[in-house]
Amino acid sequence: MSDTTETEAAVQAPDVRRPSTRLKLAKLRDLALIPPIIALLIYGYTLKPDLFLTKTYLVDTVLKYQTELALVVLAEALVLIVGKFDLSLESVVGIAPAVAIFMTVGNTTAFGAPWPPWTVLPVCLVFGALIGAFNGLLIVKFRLSAFIVTLAMLIALRGLQLAIVGGATISNLANRLPTIDYLGSLRFLTLPLSIWIVIICFAVGIVVLGYTRVGRSLYAVGGNPAAARAAGIRVERVVWITLIVAGVLASFAGLMLSARLGSVAANQGNGMIFTVFAAAVIGGISLDGGKGSLFGALTGVLLLGLIQNVLTLAQVKADQIQAVNGLVILVALVLARLTSGKAQD
Amino acid sequence: MKITSSVRGAAAVTVALALALTACSKDSTGGGGAAPASGGNANGAIGVDLPRADSDFWNAYARYIPAKAKELGVNLAGTTNSQNEIQNVISNMDSLVTQGAKSLLIAPQDTGAIGPKLDEMASKGIPVVSVDTRPDTGKVYMVVRADNRAYGQKACEFLGQQLGGKGKVVEFQGALSSINGRDRSEAFKECMTQKFPGIKVFEEPTEWDGGKAQAALETRLSTDPDIKGIYMQAGGVFLDPTLQLLKQRGRLVPPNDPKHIVIVSNDGIPQEFDAIRKGEIDATVSQPADAYAQYGLYWCKQAMAGVTPKAGPSDHGSKIIQLPNGFEDQLPAPLVTKDNVDDKALWGNAGA
Repeated sequence: MSDTTETEAAVQAPDVRRPSTRLKLAKLRDLALIPPIIALLIYGYTLKPDLFLTKTYLVDTVLKYQTELALVVLAEALVLIVGKFDLSLESVVGIAPAVAIFMTVGNTTAFGAPWPPWTVLPVCLVFGALIGAFNGLLIVKFRLSAFIVTLAMLIALRGLQLAIVGGATISNLANRLPTIDYLGSLRFLTLPLSIWIVIICFAVGIVVLGYTRVGRSLYAVGGNPAAARAAGIRVERVVWITLIVAGVLASFAGLMLSARLGSVAANQGNGMIFTVFAAAVIGGISLDGGKGSLFGALTGVLLLGLIQNVLTLAQVKADQIQAVNGLVILVALVLARLTSGKAQD
Repeated sequence: MKITSSVRGAAAVTVALALALTACSKDSTGGGGAAPASGGNANGAIGVDLPRADSDFWNAYARYIPAKAKELGVNLAGTTNSQNEIQNVISNMDSLVTQGAKSLLIAPQDTGAIGPKLDEMASKGIPVVSVDTRPDTGKVYMVVRADNRAYGQKACEFLGQQLGGKGKVVEFQGALSSINGRDRSEAFKECMTQKFPGIKVFEEPTEWDGGKAQAALETRLSTDPDIKGIYMQAGGVFLDPTLQLLKQRGRLVPPNDPKHIVIVSNDGIPQEFDAIRKGEIDATVSQPADAYAQYGLYWCKQAMAGVTPKAGPSDHGSKIIQLPNGFEDQLPAPLVTKDNVDDKALWGNAGA
């Protein structure tokens, strides 16, 4: 893999100095998943011609259910681009909203609880940031392997959440925390708030990564840290900040999920990280760092979401659905490979 | 899933080993050898393994264990938690025996893999009682469970009657890898095809995940807005996501409204009872967490006293049947509707 990183760094280096001035939304590689997505849309249309391609259906049954995944994929994509791993994001999705909501409606008096309802959002995001900062401390300062650190954090945070809430699902949020209910039910210009949040987060991410010095430095660090350092980039700081941003995004995703479900399940987010990696990697984010675009990652999320929805629509039997799901993902990858004509890595 | 579960498993084993070691040093005077239970040691300690810590039902069960042990006057050798992993159940069983347990109360959620360990325990003279699940193979002294097939059947009959035998119904299936989910799904399907052929059932695989269930329901309500009923196989995970979605779609209306969707759940947790009182859902089948703890411990005590169970009606309103590998105490699981939701005998009302 070292040769890829080197060539990549060589390609990246001029980019760092000379960011393209033309607003280019996506490169060819980023569009690789468009053909399989279109194929799925056509298949869905044949299943329910009167309904499938309507805006209501696509927004309310497909997109709305991928918003949390999309945010966590955005977080993971940033971490992967900078050349690190963060497995603990799935536990952040559970524990950040659990802590914030537990402090407002939970059965506790610790730290002056119950806290007022408005604290939920800031507490949740700050908690996510703290976890990211702690991960960064271990990875950047203590120079531990990101994979192992965040794997340990995944387990530790999941356990901590169980310990804090006593293993119970915090339920009936809609009535107990109206502010949270808004996050799950409010609409702007006919689109649910959660979809707007994803659009804004990805738009900001694409612009920052593509057109700012800070954003381009993420690619440089992920592609070749030594070269990046030589070029005057503060590698440690970039990695650390990326991990904190990822923690914040994951905690926000967790709060959105809780708002949508009206509860914080004790195992919220459990197992999610595999879907997150699947979406990111299918979307063209390289596990080796320094490669891939956020737009590509977003198409990965869309693809997985569409597959899930079409399988439900086609009423695939319970004992076959996982096998079919995996198979469809493989076919989609092959289709993407054939149509884009570029080798995947 | 693989990476995390094996690492978690390793962590749990380490903890279990540590526990076992400390227990060894403490229990050195307490008779280390595995004395056969047939000796009639009714006061021997019972080792309890809990299947998971993240479900309301099992947490209720965990809270009943010490209380019921006190009532029955039995000692607990220790309580472990196997985090839904069969390899943890197996190592915890060894750990509990090392801690001095003379009989074991377990709830193995994987009914196929536990067999060899059960035979090993039987050869050591440690009787094992399994709550909630019936091991496929391996010697068990007693299986204590409510008949999961009855859940599916009761849910089907209630829905069928409420809907007058016609309409469309969505079913949130649990994980098919769990015997309880499978039993409920099969019984529900059998009953629907035989008794209510006019009802169309949409089976939604969910892996016990509330988010997946919500997405499936949204899809189904879009394609078939005339859905009349929902059967959710577990209230704990599916209740809030379902109510949240129905509220957003304006379908969370009282039972007398023609737009009302009839909902039957399984579990019998307090949140479901609240929803029944408010008219948001119509019925649930109460899975007896208190009776699971009580009769699980009761049969451990009987086993250590050397009592051999007999098939037939029991003294506590249940039926005991003979299995190829032991016996099963089939506890009743009452259907709870608006009419009996305030019944104090239901564990969901006990405020535990």
